[in-house]
Amino acid sequence: MDVAAAKLIGAGLAMIGTIGAGLGIGVLVNGAVQGIARNPDASGNVQTNMILGIAFAEAVAIYCLVVALLILFVG
Amino acid sequence: MEKPRRWRWGVNRWFVLLFAVLGFFAAKVYPPILPHIQLPAEAYSHNPLFSLPGIGEFHWTNTLTALVIADIILFVIALMVRNATRSGKLIPSGLSGAIEALLEVLYNLTETTAGKWTKTIFPFFATITIFVLVVNWMELIPGIDSIGILEPSEHGYQIKEILPGVTTILKDKMETGGYALIPFVRVLSTDLNFTVGLALISVVMTQVLGARALGINYFSKFLNVKTLFSRPIFGVIDFGVGLLELISEFSKILSFSFRLFGNIFAGSVLLFVIGTLVPVFAQTIFLMLEFFVGLIQAIVFGMLTMVFMSQATQGHGEHAEVH
Repeated sequence: MDVAAAKLIGAGLAMIGTIGAGLGIGVLVNGAVQGIARNPDASGNVQTNMILGIAFAEAVAIYCLVVALLILFVG
Repeated sequence: MEKPRRWRWGVNRWFVLLFAVLGFFAAKVYPPILPHIQLPAEAYSHNPLFSLPGIGEFHWTNTLTALVIADIILFVIALMVRNATRSGKLIPSGLSGAIEALLEVLYNLTETTAGKWTKTIFPFFATITIFVLVVNWMELIPGIDSIGILEPSEHGYQIKEILPGVTTILKDKMETGGYALIPFVRVLSTDLNFTVGLALISVVMTQVLGARALGINYFSKFLNVKTLFSRPIFGVIDFGVGLLELISEFSKILSFSFRLFGNIFAGSVLLFVIGTLVPVFAQTIFLMLEFFVGLIQAIVFGMLTMVFMSQATQGHGEHAEVH
C-alpha cells in the first residue's frame, strides 16, 4: 500500500476514539440537565462542574485529534 | 441621561449585502486555496535570529508576532480600564464595564471554590482566562493566516501580481517550483510552545501554592510514608496512590497543553478547509463556532487551573489526625 494512503487511513482510524468522548459528554450533559431541571437554583454550580467534566471527557477526543493531525501533517 | 444607541439597520444591511456580493465575485475571480498546513510555527527567514550552543537556533516565528500583538491589545485594554477607574465615574461604561462584568463573574466563581485563598488564586485564573481569550479570538480577525510573505517552495502555486506590491496566489498548482505562503501572523494557540509554557506555569504555580498553604505536608501527598510502618498493608496502598498523584501532576501538563492546542489548531484547519470548499457564506457559521470554542477553551483553561490550585491549598484527608 502507498504510504500516503496508509497515512490517511490511519488518521481516520485514530479518530474512532472520539466515540467514547461523545458518549461521555452525552451522559454528562444528560445528568447535568436532569439535575438543573429538578433543582433550578443549583444551576450555576451544576454548570460549572458540567463544563469541567466536559473538558476532561473532551481531552480524550483531543488526544485522538492530535494523533490524527500528527499522522497527517508531520513527517 | 444617556442617549439611546441608534441601530443603523437601514444602512448596515446594504453594507452587509455589498460585502457579500463583493466576496462572491472575489471568490469567483481568485478562488481561495488550501494553505500548506504544518504543526510547527513558520519562521520568516531561514537565517536564525541568534543561536545558543547546545540548544540550537532561534527564529522569529509568526506566532511570536501574534504574542506581541496580543500583549499590545492587553496593554491597551488595561490602560483604558485604568483611565476609566481613575476618572471617578461610579458606573463604568463601554469596554471597562464589560471587563468589570467579566472579572466579577470570575471572582465569584473563584470565591465559591477557593474560599480564603481567593485573593491568591484569582489573579492566575483571571490572567490566564483573559490572555487565552484574546489569543484565541485573534483567529477571527480577517487577514490572520492569509496575508504573508510568498516563499519559493517545492510544490507551490502560481502567483500573479494584481496591484503593484500586492500579489495573490492562483489556484493552479505547479509540478515543481512555485510559491507557498508564510503568514505574517498565525494564531498563537496553534504553537505548542505557547500552550506547554502556559501549562507549565499553571502546574508549577499549583505546587508552589500548595506548598505555601500546607508547608512540607503538601509533598507527603506524593511520597506518602506516614502510614507505611504503622499499617503495613494499607500503607503500601497509600504509597502507591501517592505515586499515582505524582504521575497525574505530569499528565496535567500534557492534557492542559494538548487541549488548548488541539482545539484551536483543529479550528483553524476547519476554517481553512471550509473556506476552500465553500468560499462564500458558509465560513460565517464556522466563525461563530470558533468564537464559542475560543471562549470555552479560555474559560476551561483558567477554571481547571483555579480548581487544581484550590484543591492543592485545601489539604487532603488525614490532616486533622496528624496534629
